[in-house]
Amino acid sequence: MASREMELSTLPESSDPPRDRLSVMLGRLIGPFLRGEPRGLIPEVLGRLIYPFLHGEAPEPRTPTGFYTDTTVCIGCKACEVACKQWNQLPSDGFNWTGNSYDNTTELSATTWRHVKFIEQFSHEPSSPLASPLDTVSDESPLNRWLMMSDHCKHCLAAPCHQACPTGAIVQNEFQNIYIQADICNGCSCCIAACPFGVITRSDMGGHSHKCTLCYDRQRDGLEPACAKACPTKSIQFGPVDELREHARKRVEELHQRGVPQAYLYGDVPSETYSEMHSFYLLVDHPAVYGLPDAPFNPWLHMMGDYVRSVAGGLAAIAVLLVVVFLLKP
Amino acid sequence: MHADSSPQHALTKPPLPEQGSETGYENMPVTKVPGWHGIIAWDALLNGMATGLFLAAAISELAAPGVFMRVAKIAYPVAFVLLIVDLGLLVLDLGDPLRFHHMLRVFKPSSPMSLGTWSLTIFSLPLTAAAALSVLAELGWDFEWARILAVVVGLLPGFASAAYKGVLLSTNAQPGWKDARWMGGYLTNSALLMGCAELLVLSALKGQGQATGILRTTVIVLLVINVIPLSLLFADLRPAHALLYTRNQQWRAGALIAALTLIPLALMLLNGDLLFLFVAVILLLAQSWFIRFVYVKIPHTAPLKTSSGE
Repeated sequence: MASREMELSTLPESSDPPRDRLSVMLGRLIGPFLRGEPRGLIPEVLGRLIYPFLHGEAPEPRTPTGFYTDTTVCIGCKACEVACKQWNQLPSDGFNWTGNSYDNTTELSATTWRHVKFIEQFSHEPSSPLASPLDTVSDESPLNRWLMMSDHCKHCLAAPCHQACPTGAIVQNEFQNIYIQADICNGCSCCIAACPFGVITRSDMGGHSHKCTLCYDRQRDGLEPACAKACPTKSIQFGPVDELREHARKRVEELHQRGVPQAYLYGDVPSETYSEMHSFYLLVDHPAVYGLPDAPFNPWLHMMGDYVRSVAGGLAAIAVLLVVVFLLKP
Repeated sequence: MHADSSPQHALTKPPLPEQGSETGYENMPVTKVPGWHGIIAWDALLNGMATGLFLAAAISELAAPGVFMRVAKIAYPVAFVLLIVDLGLLVLDLGDPLRFHHMLRVFKPSSPMSLGTWSLTIFSLPLTAAAALSVLAELGWDFEWARILAVVVGLLPGFASAAYKGVLLSTNAQPGWKDARWMGGYLTNSALLMGCAELLVLSALKGQGQATGILRTTVIVLLVINVIPLSLLFADLRPAHALLYTRNQQWRAGALIAALTLIPLALMLLNGDLLFLFVAVILLLAQSWFIRFVYVKIPHTAPLKTSSGE
């Protein structure tokens, strides 16, 4: 029996949250559609029209959870990528060699929710010693070292994708994780445009957006996410965000004491332009080296100003029209 | 966003090399480009043409009914047709067009797309009524009070439908777009300009001398005023353009836009004949489409040199 089925067989069945009264009535109206029973054209159309308007009650908030990724202990084994694909039943993307790295995944996509990044920092001096990620790097003496990072959705507390989504498909679930409801998403791509980390992609199959769910299904059943479970070095750690932060800070202090002053946490606390992330990282080089924005910016900080300019542009034109009409009308 | 705004790397300021390493993902784009292509440029144009025409006709008719009523009755059905085509493009651009109605399952003011969808949906109702009642009036069944009521009801959602588009295209993390603070200001102003220009052609076609004279003056003034938000938008986009296009290409695009602004202006100043007005308005619409097309293509054109999202 596959590991997915084995794990599932030991669990009690979890049920969907209850619906409000209107949704229950509407649900009865399209019962055959919901049950996937054979149906004709009219029930099919009716089902498709009504289904998105069935709203469930929001579950009670639970302890916020997230990932802490310690990149200094990542060995690039890709067990997390494989576990993610296996649990979420995502198809292979094939090998995509970049030509400058052992990275054969290249990027996060609608079918790749985990991506192990390989950063090769090697000098061309043949005598340069091989270093570990924990050695101190400087401008004068470049190191021969590998940096590896398992990348995924950051599950931002104030997530731009969540703010952008017009259908309500993207929700912040009871664990304060960002989750895309695949049966609601209509592929408008607003979330793709909004994400400053390039996490979300629209699938060619179905045309909907997909990304890491932080194994919402597993969490609801009391299991840890597949990637964290598979990680052999504890580079990916899952748990309550507060505990993870405390643990990560201790690790940074420990690294500083061990002579790794460049170690720092990325995304664990909010900045002036971006909220905290529920998936944060311990890094030892600039964020850009890992393909992360140095200073992430939430586009919504500009939105009100943009609306004011937009309205002002229109009102100015209307004022001109009215002035000319009143001046020139007989 | 949290009130606590301590620095991102709160524990220490790590002693990292000034330039960072040149290997890794530093020169790769961080953000992913949404599949918004030429269809969105046409959508932005048709949205402006439909909402602008309705607003120009409605405001003119309400301000001077004696002068503009006849041309307004033609304008509403035209705006209706433009809006239908625009909505069709919006639906086609979805990854799953059969789920277009999912847009209406929630109202989310934080999402410009949600605000825009609701505005367009609400606007489509009085616009349909105004268009239908205008056609009925032409056929001899004139319910003027109902038509005027529909026009008044349509003003606010019509304006919101024009105003959201630029905010949608600037409130995101895409290179270039995220810096375009004046996109909304330009697009809304441009919508009214295009609307007045369309109404001008319709009034000239209907032989409405007084309306044509007033609208000709209005379009000339608006054409000049529209240069202000356009210049501010270009200033916003200058760093992005500098990374995407050679100086030569930038000059050529700038010259084309200048020509498509100045020629219509000159034509309208020189002569008020239908042919001159018609050519001027076509050139103005071409300019509007070109600006929207260049803007929509920014994230698609080529990856920016820097990988940082900021």
